[in-house]
Amino acid sequence: MKNNNQKILEQTLTRRFFFLSFLKTLVVGSISWRFFDLQIIENQKYKKLSNQNQFNYFVIPPERGRILDRKMRLLAGNMDSFSLVLNWNESVNVKALIYKVSQIIYIDKKDLNRFYSSLSEKKNNNPKEILITKNLSQKDVAKLSIRNVEFPEITFSMSKKRVYPQGKIAGHLTGYTGVFSKLDKLNDKVVAVPGLDVGKRGLEKFFDTDLRGKFGRKRNEVTSKGHVIDTQIYEQTTTGEDIQVSLDMSLQAFAMQRLEMGNNNVTSIENKVIKKQIKVNEKVTYIDNNFVYTNKANKIVNPHSGSVIVMDVENGQLLCCVSSPGFNPNIFTNGLSENEWSELKNNTRAPLLNRSMSGVYPPGSTIKMAVALAALESGIINYDTKFKCTGVKKFETSNFHCWAKNGHGNLNLMQAIEQSCDVFFYELGLKVGIDKIAIMMKKLGLGQYYNIEIDEKTKGVVPNIKWKLQRDGVNWTYGETLNASIGQGYILTTPLQLVTMVSRIANSKYAINPSLIIKKNNNKKFNNLDINQKHLKFIKKSMEEVVLGKKGTAKKHKIGSKRIEMAGKTGTVQVVRITEEEREKGLIKNEDRPWKKRDHALFVGYAPISKPKYAISVVVEHGGSGSSVAAPIARDVFKNLFKI
Amino acid sequence: MNYKSNKFSTDNPTNILLTKFLKINWLIVLCVIFLGLIGVAALYSAAGGNWNPWAKSHLIRLIIGVVLMFIIAFIHPKFFYKLTLISFLLGLLSLVFVKFFGVGSVQRWITIGGLNIQPSEFMKFALILMLAKYFDQLSKINFNRLFSYFIPIIYIIIPGWIVISQPDLGTGLIIIILGFAILFYVGVSLKFVFIFLLTFISSVPIVWQNLYDYQKNRILVFLNPEMDSLGSGYQIIQSKIAIGSGGVFGKGYLLGSQSRLNYLPEKHTDFIFTLISEELGFFGAMIIILTFCILIVSIAKISFSVETLFSKVIVFGVGLLIFLYLTLNIGMVCGLLPVVGAPLPLISYGGTALFTILISIGVVLSINVHKNEE
Repeated sequence: MKNNNQKILEQTLTRRFFFLSFLKTLVVGSISWRFFDLQIIENQKYKKLSNQNQFNYFVIPPERGRILDRKMRLLAGNMDSFSLVLNWNESVNVKALIYKVSQIIYIDKKDLNRFYSSLSEKKNNNPKEILITKNLSQKDVAKLSIRNVEFPEITFSMSKKRVYPQGKIAGHLTGYTGVFSKLDKLNDKVVAVPGLDVGKRGLEKFFDTDLRGKFGRKRNEVTSKGHVIDTQIYEQTTTGEDIQVSLDMSLQAFAMQRLEMGNNNVTSIENKVIKKQIKVNEKVTYIDNNFVYTNKANKIVNPHSGSVIVMDVENGQLLCCVSSPGFNPNIFTNGLSENEWSELKNNTRAPLLNRSMSGVYPPGSTIKMAVALAALESGIINYDTKFKCTGVKKFETSNFHCWAKNGHGNLNLMQAIEQSCDVFFYELGLKVGIDKIAIMMKKLGLGQYYNIEIDEKTKGVVPNIKWKLQRDGVNWTYGETLNASIGQGYILTTPLQLVTMVSRIANSKYAINPSLIIKKNNNKKFNNLDINQKHLKFIKKSMEEVVLGKKGTAKKHKIGSKRIEMAGKTGTVQVVRITEEEREKGLIKNEDRPWKKRDHALFVGYAPISKPKYAISVVVEHGGSGSSVAAPIARDVFKNLFKI
Repeated sequence: MNYKSNKFSTDNPTNILLTKFLKINWLIVLCVIFLGLIGVAALYSAAGGNWNPWAKSHLIRLIIGVVLMFIIAFIHPKFFYKLTLISFLLGLLSLVFVKFFGVGSVQRWITIGGLNIQPSEFMKFALILMLAKYFDQLSKINFNRLFSYFIPIIYIIIPGWIVISQPDLGTGLIIIILGFAILFYVGVSLKFVFIFLLTFISSVPIVWQNLYDYQKNRILVFLNPEMDSLGSGYQIIQSKIAIGSGGVFGKGYLLGSQSRLNYLPEKHTDFIFTLISEELGFFGAMIIILTFCILIVSIAKISFSVETLFSKVIVFGVGLLIFLYLTLNIGMVCGLLPVVGAPLPLISYGGTALFTILISIGVVLSINVHKNEE
């Protein structure tokens, strides 16, 4: 009985043992399968997740390339600066933190707005570094580091700040950089990296891709609590390329100063008369903080605004390209305050306007070479054709006056250019017609854009019959031809176009185009100018007479060197119409008119006359007459350039 | 069959020792030491390549435990038979004591002479002994009478209920599953098995209501880890990431990023297998599971060669205990089972569990050594 029982028990035990073992095998099998599934089949997925846990990825902005002038002087470079960075993670109370920090140092509102927007842009809740501000002073750093224990999530980081050592002298050319915003259309696919500066204007904008360099990448190893325990840079940054421009900064600085001074004097503010004037008028523009410009009557005057451009007639490189008043690009990198911005924007002299490329002016008498060339090329006149100037040309119902009230008498083309006789050119214009003049002006580079390395530029206006019909739906009148013949009326040019025109005349062979860059392979071919060499030679001779001739409009402003002399053409542009009545009364002197109604003073020229090398254009806004104001500036710039 | 006949061998003691020594199942010993050393290595890695705080004391405990295991292996099983009741009562007493005077936010430990002891771990083995002793008197038991199960079920439910209420769901479940599996093993008639299963299923809602919030939460989160990716589900998600990212051969010893950067919770206790899987990969994980299987099978084999039901139940119970520990722990870390909190035997840090396992295996070895002396 007992044995039997025992046997039955043994059987039950064995059966149940194997049943349970079967269950156990199933369990172990499914666990093993689970591991196979996790570790082998879905390995990649979990590897990615593990990497996301382990690392936070960052992009490191590269150091921006420099901008250098032709003698390797710095136009735009980088300076070390301290940035304030928030090591964000979920547990940070951002508002309280920022409040604390802003109790200690001043944080610009613009920076704060940018900070909050980048805070809200983040895609996930991974810890991140977010830039608060880039513009910490040494003082701020010291103040904050003392109390750093209160906000361990905030760290300093050394970063690069764009700096423009030339300040406002070259502000229009260098432009400036700013934080990338959605408005910036980048021509390459770039991640909008927080803290990335992109060119906003000028050369910075044009060469943005070259200057920017290549991004680096780094990853921080972080614990589950967000503490960074290691930083690995696994892709080094590449510093952006340096850009060498053709400018000569010493000439640029000289030309700017010379333009702004004009024919005025520099007087110390210690002067008693000046002190009195400063007391009455608070809006005085100082020079180097201690001086002011004064006119002959010892009255404080504003610096002249306008443009001076010097261009190499052989390769089109610009040696100086001044636009006054300038603006200091450094104020943009320091974070522009509302005040500074509105002052720049609302300033009546428009310092943000790059006058040399975007400013348009009627060319006045400086256009006369183009009219003369059009006449010569069409064969309507020869070198000896003479017209008589009586001081006024009666045409249809109107009187068209010459600048010389009593007329120039009988003169030929060379004399007409030398003395800038208006009546001669009225006659010429009538004979040639506006369309032929327009063709010649286009040949000489007016009314068109150039491939210059600055985006802000203007086309200007070269009118012709079709243009007028298309714009106004009205036929062109002969009166308008008369105006156009002396560079008034519809015609508008930029200083850059004027210097290009002179360059082409001086070069005579090629249609030179302006450029700001020193090209390594200098064999860039210009198109042929396609104007009769003899005619050009004659025009150049006439331009020489403007300076050297006994009656030349710029005869007072010879360089006076045996080696080097300049040739050129003056221009005085009326900005308001003078009625017959006013003319009867006698003209009001330029200086006595309100600034906005004064004439523009222009001068275009080249030097040396023996073998032209450099062309110049000087535009002094409301500066007076070309011969008395613009020509001496051109002379002095040439003197500086040739070291005379 | 009882061990009341007091018949000792008259042989020379050294000789006896030597014969006993040769009878030890060395495969089991080897598996135990191998797994213990794996534990030391894993704990060294868990501390970021440091002997402190875990690896060193685990090694010391392992050495003491293995020595203890050998000593027990030489003791005749009838000695354990005598100790059964007292150990069970002691276990129960300490559980009750822990319930009222335990340390820690969850009452699991009692401190005796500076040592933290977790009586619930020890209780598992005491239960095995108690059930083994009960079924050893099989001749007096009628399996077809429901009343026969009343006493063993009391044996199971009382410690199980106390442990679950500590609250320690994992250990409590192991105790209950272990007890019922032994009942099944010794031959409960299938009629009652079905009745029990039905009762069990119908009692689920009642049990659910009596679970602590954190326990309910764990089960809910287990069913849907994404429900709470930063709270309870965080452990499962991070553990799965760690295991999955290990790949075939792992990230390398000491190089597991998930554990090194503290993404793994309780990497030295419940989630130590995650750490091993991350650093040693599928390959390493399988070697450890295989070693456990060898250990369990070796123990199970012994149950066929022993005569008494007391020995059979103990051997079966110990094998099952190791199996339950293993599957509950590994199933938990890979997201197959809810996070109930069960250590991995021999590898997880924790003295009581380690000693319980080593003592149980010592008893199994002893049964094997003395099987022909019955």
